[in-house]
Amino acid sequence: MNRGNRVALACCYWALVVYVFVPLILMIVMGFKDSKFIGFPIQSWTLDWYAGVFSDAEVLYTFGYSVLIAVLSTLISVIVGTWIAVLLEGRKFWGRAVMFGLMVLPALVPGIISAIAFRIYARWLGIEPGIGAIVWAHAVHNVPFVSLVIMARLSTLPKSQIEAARDLGADALIAFMRVTLPYLVPAILGASVFCLLLSFDDFVRSFFLGGYEPTLPVLIFAMLRSGMSPEINAIATAALVLTAAIGIWAERFTRQNSKESQV
Amino acid sequence: MTYDASVQKDGDDSTTSGGSRPFWGRIVNWRPYQGLVAIVTVSPRRQFFILVAFPVLWLLTQHLGPMLQMLHVSLLDAYPVAPGTAHTFTFDNYMRFLGDRIFWQPFFRTLTFAAVFTFCTLIITYPVAYFLARHVSRKNRMLMLLLLLIPFWVGEIVRTYAIMILLGNTGAVNQVLKWVGLIDRPIPFMYTSFSMGVGIVYLTALYMLLPLYSALEKLPKSYNEAAADLGAGAWTRFRRVTLPLTLEGISSGCTLVFLISTGFYATPVLLGGPSTTVFAETIAGFFHVAGDEWPTGAAFAVIMFAGALAITGVFQRLMKALRKGDTA
Repeated sequence: MNRGNRVALACCYWALVVYVFVPLILMIVMGFKDSKFIGFPIQSWTLDWYAGVFSDAEVLYTFGYSVLIAVLSTLISVIVGTWIAVLLEGRKFWGRAVMFGLMVLPALVPGIISAIAFRIYARWLGIEPGIGAIVWAHAVHNVPFVSLVIMARLSTLPKSQIEAARDLGADALIAFMRVTLPYLVPAILGASVFCLLLSFDDFVRSFFLGGYEPTLPVLIFAMLRSGMSPEINAIATAALVLTAAIGIWAERFTRQNSKESQV
Repeated sequence: MTYDASVQKDGDDSTTSGGSRPFWGRIVNWRPYQGLVAIVTVSPRRQFFILVAFPVLWLLTQHLGPMLQMLHVSLLDAYPVAPGTAHTFTFDNYMRFLGDRIFWQPFFRTLTFAAVFTFCTLIITYPVAYFLARHVSRKNRMLMLLLLLIPFWVGEIVRTYAIMILLGNTGAVNQVLKWVGLIDRPIPFMYTSFSMGVGIVYLTALYMLLPLYSALEKLPKSYNEAAADLGAGAWTRFRRVTLPLTLEGISSGCTLVFLISTGFYATPVLLGGPSTTVFAETIAGFFHVAGDEWPTGAAFAVIMFAGALAITGVFQRLMKALRKGDTA
């Protein structure tokens, strides 16, 4: 009885693995097909689509543009998110619950509504659609994720360490820089990678706040509107490899780090 | 073991901070820094206000501001307000929604779809979370979870495109069915609510899996063993012990997935067809034109947010009542 249960549950797990991996594998395979038509059967193989895409100046520019936006917005999110987390964690004050609610708000607003709200606000502030508007929208949207990760890490910092630093003569700022901040480094790195990926992958905010230069997801979307082609597979695969590699690296890094701090 | 590690750490510290101690020492003795500290730390109260000022400002202007401005614009009769004219507030933009079938049809379709897709995600991921939390050794658990995480680092558009390739007329599913001999003509999966569902469940599965997994992992095994000792069968154990105690995880996972599902724009555009237009497309339509339609678009966005929040509110109430009823 128990054994049958176990096998059935294992099947559910592997079925989900198939569901989430097969579409991506098919997409990668299609990028090597020697024909303009997406679909099976595949008769011959080629690398031409990759060669074409990587010598296309527009695609390369878009790639760099997306990375730049991701890096800039992540810098803002991490600084602001950490500041808010340090304020909210382990402190009781009037209005804390309200502040916490406001902090998570951008993460809960459905994508399209958040994009529309940012678009309207950007216009009201006088920010033109383009890189500035996208960086700003991504930064605001990613702050809650940073704050939540940092708060989780801060809650495990023994208060005695800070008190010890203060007893030894450090003022609040030095204690923060030399005790709290080093303790937060793994969490900050983890949150940064998460923000980078969120920003690089984001479509809806980039789409509504972008000017004439598309980010990578917006470019793929625009190309898809005019039909599927193996070039899109090549671009999408390149983006996939980049994001998955960063994700796996970050996962390994944070796991190593948490192991060290446990000892 | 612990002793060794701490000794090693101390050794590391002395070698690395040998160079940095003068730096911090110099900072502390630096006059302007001392002045700054004196001003900032006059009282704990002053210190707190300096720490709190920036976050409060940020949260109000950046997190709340866009939502309030959207609400404000939705009540205007024209945007941008022409110079020299006064703001005129009106509910016309909201009335426009009630007045036309072509508006509330996609609205209710969006909410229905989101609810159905959320339920599908729950059904698909619950057994998986249960399997990982209960039947897998602690060592393999993280690896198996990581395997599922990898595809979720890939972006929304790329994954939507992957589903397009999977379900197309010459796509893998149709080819396999044909090869097996079940069909001789491809089934048109694409541009239907089915393809949209496959895509959206694909995008949201992780947001359901993680809350469920953490709820199931927290549940002590002994509860189930106690129930078994008292003579409960497998199904009864699940229904009377596991399910009630993971309702909180279910509730937060469903809320998150429902809110995310209502907000998709690109996925319905690419995977859906004319008969599956969602409200996100309706809203976006008002922003593609010059700007005179913005108030209507803003009003519709407010309506959608309010509708989604109302449903999640009712849902959370229901779950809470269910939890209470079970413990009583």
